[in-house]
Formats: sequence, C-alpha cells, structure tokens
Amino acid sequence: MSSFSASSVSKRGSIVPPLAEDPAFVDSCDVLICGTGIVESILAAALAWQGSNVAHLDRNSIYGDSSAVLNLDELPRWVDEVNYESAVFSNAKLYQPRPLDSKKYFVDLTPRVLFAKSDMLQLLLKSRVYKYLEFRSLTNFHTYENDSFEKVPASKQDIFTSQQMSPVVKRQLMKFIKFTVEWERLYNVWGPYRDKPVVEFMTKEFQLEQTQIDELVQSIGLCSSNDVATPVALHRIKRYLVSLETYGAFPVVYSMYGSASELSQGFCRSAAVGGAVYKLNATLTGLDVDSKTAIFNDGSKVRWSEKLVVSEAQITEQVRSKIPSSNPEYQINHLTVIVNMDCKEWFAEGEDAAIIVFPVGSLSSGNTKTVQAICYGAESGQVPPGQCIWYLSTVQGGATGQRDLEEALSKMEASILRESTEDFEFQVDQSDVIFTPSGDPVLSSVKLGKSMKDFVPEKKLTYLIKLSYNQKTSIPPLEESIKDVAKNDGDESPVIVTSGAPTEITYDGIVEQVKKIYAQIVGSDDDFFDVDFEDDEEDELTGMAKQNKKQEDDDHVPDFGDDMEL
Amino acid sequence: MATPRTSSQERFAQFKLVLLGESFVGKSSLVTRFVKDEFLEQRESTIGAAFLTQTVSLEDNKTVRFEIWDTAGQERYKSLAPMYYRNANCAVVVYDITQASSLERSKAWVKELQHRAADGIIIGLAGNKLDLEDKREVPTEEARAYAEEAGLLFFETSALTGENVLELFTEIARKVPFENSTARPRMSAKGVDLNKNGGTEAQGCNC
Repeated sequence: MSSFSASSVSKRGSIVPPLAEDPAFVDSCDVLICGTGIVESILAAALAWQGSNVAHLDRNSIYGDSSAVLNLDELPRWVDEVNYESAVFSNAKLYQPRPLDSKKYFVDLTPRVLFAKSDMLQLLLKSRVYKYLEFRSLTNFHTYENDSFEKVPASKQDIFTSQQMSPVVKRQLMKFIKFTVEWERLYNVWGPYRDKPVVEFMTKEFQLEQTQIDELVQSIGLCSSNDVATPVALHRIKRYLVSLETYGAFPVVYSMYGSASELSQGFCRSAAVGGAVYKLNATLTGLDVDSKTAIFNDGSKVRWSEKLVVSEAQITEQVRSKIPSSNPEYQINHLTVIVNMDCKEWFAEGEDAAIIVFPVGSLSSGNTKTVQAICYGAESGQVPPGQCIWYLSTVQGGATGQRDLEEALSKMEASILRESTEDFEFQVDQSDVIFTPSGDPVLSSVKLGKSMKDFVPEKKLTYLIKLSYNQKTSIPPLEESIKDVAKNDGDESPVIVTSGAPTEITYDGIVEQVKKIYAQIVGSDDDFFDVDFEDDEEDELTGMAKQNKKQEDDDHVPDFGDDMEL
Repeated sequence: MATPRTSSQERFAQFKLVLLGESFVGKSSLVTRFVKDEFLEQRESTIGAAFLTQTVSLEDNKTVRFEIWDTAGQERYKSLAPMYYRNANCAVVVYDITQASSLERSKAWVKELQHRAADGIIIGLAGNKLDLEDKREVPTEEARAYAEEAGLLFFETSALTGENVLELFTEIARKVPFENSTARPRMSAKGVDLNKNGGTEAQGCNC
C-alpha cells in the first residue's frame, strides 16, 4: 500500500505558463494516465478532486479510447488503423454504399445502457457529471422467440395482462420475481445452487418454463446464456427489477450522442475543473520505469511520482516490453448497421430506443451465446430522422459469433419489414402475400406493382452503413469465474494496466474497477469522490442530493407485494 | 422548449454559452465578473463541478438565463471535447488587447467554432484587459473591422473594473434567437432528469 499526500489543493490552476503558440506540456505529475476510456476518465476525475496532480493524455484526437464515438469521417480511418495495429480491435470491415452527411452520425464502438439503479448512475449524480449529459429512457426489452419479437413482461401489469401465459405460469413468475428482489437474504433457497447454472435453480425451485427463463435470464438479466451461475444471474435480474419505477416505468436510460465516450468526456471535464491537465494526440513512444519517465511523440517528457496508469490500446510496440502484459483473451463480436427506417414499431410510446435479445438457440446458426441488440432512432442524436442504428453484439468470438450476428441481423430486417408492412395504406388481401420457406411474408409484387410504385423505395430496408469488428478484453464473460480486474505486478509496480471493456452492454463493473485502482494509488477508496462541490444552485441541489442519498440508504425495493391474486 | 414560462407575457429562455480563446486572456475572470461581480487574482478552479449560470433581464419582459461553460483549461493543448461545443447557442471568444498575437489566435477559435458548433451560433468577440490601456497592442479599430467582417458582436471589456462586461452579455442575450432555447435534459420533454425522483417512490400506483 502506498499512501501519499498529493500536491496541495490550493496549487491547482495557479500555474501560469507563458502565452506561447504551443505551450510546453507539464513535465511532472503525481499520476500519469494514458487513455481517455471510461475507467481512466473516472479515475482522473476522482484523483484530481482528491488533490492529486494528474496529467491525462490520449494517443487519439478524440476522447473515449476503445469506447470512442466516431463520425463518418473518422470511421474509415479507425477501420484502417485498427486493422493495421491494435491490441483491442481486429477484423474491422466497413460497408458504406454512398456518401452521407458525416456530422449527423455518431457510431459508438461500445454502446452501453445505464440501469436506473446502479453504481454508475449514483456516481454521475455524486460527481455532478450528469449535468453535462442528456439522458433518455428505454422501456422495451424484446426477446426473439418463435420468429417474432416478444416484449418482455416484467412489471406486474405486464404479467397480468399477458395473453401468452397461463395463470399457473403467471403465478410462478410472480413468485420468482418476489423472491429475486430480496434474494440475498434468502440463502436457504438459492444456496444449494450457488455454483450451479441458474437454469437448474429456476427449473427445480420455481418450475419456470424455458420461455420465461430465457426472458428473465437473458433479456431482463442480459446474461449471455442460462448457464450463468445462480447468484450472478439473480443479481442481474434484480438489477432490472429494482431499476423499474426509479425514474418511471423504464429500467434503463441512455446518454444521447453515445455512451461511454460521452461519460468519458464528462468525467474528463470534471477532472480538468479539478485541476487535471489534458492533451490529446499524444502517443506513448518511450518509457523508463526506473526513473518513472514517459516520453510522447510530440517530444513531451513527463515524470510521474506515484503511478502510470495506461490502457491496453495506448501501449505502443515501442513500450510494450516495459509494461506488464494484460493479455486480453476474451472476445466480443460487433455488428453495427444504420438503416433507412425509423423502426418505431419496436419502441415504446414517446421513446426512440429498444433492446432486442436473441436467446441461446433461437437462431438457425445454433447460437450458444445470446446476441444482444440496442436500437436507437433519431432521438438518440446518433442518426438523422427516419433512420435507425442497430448495435448487435455477442461474446461468442470468431467466425461463429459473426455468423450469429449476421443471422440475428437478418431476423431483425425481416421483422421490421413485416411489422411496418402492417401500416400499408393500400388494400392488401391474403392472396397478395406469399410466404417464404422460412415463414416470412412477401408481397406479390407482380400484382401490386402498380400501387407499390411510390411505396417500395420508402419501405425497402437499405443499409446506409454496415460495420463489423472484433473486440478483445481481459475481463471474462459471466460464465467464467471472476479474476482480478486490474492486471499488474502488485501494488509496488509503478505501472497499472487497466482492463478492457466489460463484456456487457451496461456499465456494471466499471465503477468497481476504478475504485480498485484508486485504492491502489491513494491507499483506500474511502475518499473516492468525497467532494463538497460549491454550486451555483446549491440549495436546490443539496436538497435533492440528500433525498437521493436517503433513497440509496433505503435501498428502495419496488412493490411486488402479496396482493397479487392470480 | 422556447418558452417554458409564458405567464403575463413574460418570457424566459435558457441558452448554453461557451467561452473560447487562448489561455490566460481572462476568460474565467470575465465570467466571474459577470456571474458574481467579483475579480479573482488567481483562477478559482473549484467553483462548481459543472458550469455557472446567470440571468439577464431584457426590456421587453424577456429573461435570458445563460448556462456558461468555461474551458477548464482543456483549450490549452487543444483538447476540448465535442461535448463542449454541442448545442451551444452562443459563444464569447476572448482575446487580450495587450497581446497582438491573441487577436490572431481568437480568429482561429472563431473558425473552430464555425466548424464544430451548430450553424447560427451567436459569437461575441471580447477584447479583454481594457484596464491595461497603456500596454495596448491591438487597436480597437482593427478588432472591430475583423468582428464586422466575420459577423461577430464586439466589445472591449475589463474583468478587473467590470467595464462593458454586462453590456457584452446583454447584447448576446438580445441577439440570440429566443426560439432556439437550449433544451437541457431536465427541461426537455423526452429527457430524463437523473436528479429528479432519483430513487424516490414511483408516482402513482403501479398496479
């Protein structure tokens, strides 16, 4: 454990460099951070507010590191770059049939949603970083089954009104949900299954059927399969249940214009306000661990006194041999498309986002992991009106994962065309529709040719962008036992390599990871963001913050009470 | 989102205003003077974690609230994030009248704004440190000519004495189109304000 007293707070911001064309970068700091990914950015802000002297750099011209958000000018460059050299991304392919207005598109490399009740959301409030961001709600979690998208019934009224479930199933489902919101206390129920797949627990203890288990574990819980260990899955199902009714009848929110990259920008700004110094376009080209000196491509030489924190993507070949290897070994396959339809059919009233989950075995590719898709319309700020961006991903690596994604994509395409077909303004009778061998309805264009002349181009699904890539991370998927997240040579090493992104489309695990590194640097995480912000609207805000704090303590549990008569 | 309050013809609107300019030309001081009517010898970096706000009342029953984003030093090595420029309705580009080169560099910041911010952004050019008249290097007429040519509002200001500071912000308030009022998340109809209802009991019955 190293504990140190950082440069005094009063020194912050009082350095007055000369007014020069290209002012020289700082030559020393307490903590040097390379990479503006979400982990490093939160760390920078936490350390800056704790009083450490932080220098924070990134080799890229934009914030976000491996979680960046790119416009359509940056995207082709990124594809070339990562195919040339990247420790994190590989096999990037971009298809863009025609030019688009670059500035109107934001493509998120690692899209994430934020649970309404989660440590990241609490941190956004506590750090005031939420003020820089704009959030929108996401209600609809769909599960793909029997060739259609079913909205997941998770609230009491959904379960009540569901036409698909028998009263017996409804009762079992309510029983399970009531158990899950307080599962930690009921060890006697789940204890015997602590190392066993959750599917076993749910089948034996609650007699739930495959459909319900898929929905609960893989959609609501966003687990990659039903084989996840029982407590892990219960924790994740509860995460959804307690998030409902926190801000409204939706479990998650998302930040506009992009996810982790937006949060990174916010935390970096917070760090800068707290006194951290920023520089982009600075590549680590040399390292002397003994003298704790880093050299950058612009000639800056920065000495750090405590730690160098570096993300995997910032480690260049020149310095790789001097840094403990983190050897990212787990894969995430991504497939991102932008389509020329608004896909309103999938979204809840007044919203422009949805999550679609393809459970294990639901695709004809025989997928052994789920495929998760986040879909955003124009309200997300990521695409222009009338278009939609679909982010598909799976923790299944290699060609198998790519096949799963392509298969899921074709199901989404078929589904949206079918659902929007119901809106046809002209009369179509049964004889106009033929079915393909896979059961997809196709309109007989010979007969309809005339009336569809003006209609077809609008309804045909066109891919404006299609992007696929493989991402590596050192954080294992849920099925694997949790390993130590920050790889390093112990607390004494002057260099800490941060792990890659969690294999998650949420922010879970990130705050925990930052706190561990923070504790490694300052000795403990007791004063993590323990800041008394002077604020413009302090009266109003303190009141609300207190209210929030109180609620946090109460650990609000939604009412899944006994008054359920089924 | 233009007029959240419309009672008895009073009109209220909120705008995001960003500051730009080279380091140490007095950006923060200018805002501190406007918001708190104070002058700090040293930059105070611990004020708020977010941004400062100040309202300006106009003659025609209009009230304009500025949400002012300072660079927090991130301009020094050209590391301002896209977030900084996003949805900015107006900007103040500051130079130092005692540094000839600082006007030149403010021109680069104006270009940067026109490239990165939304079209139609109202830009005010502020020649700061007017109290140091004896050290002046930038003639008023030269800066004014540039401002007119580039379509900017122009004031020479002193954060130290307060001269022309309120005038600058008031003029921006008059010029910024009311209907373009920034929809901050907590005000936006579709946005979610994380600071509201956070963890409180849901409104109404959920059964």
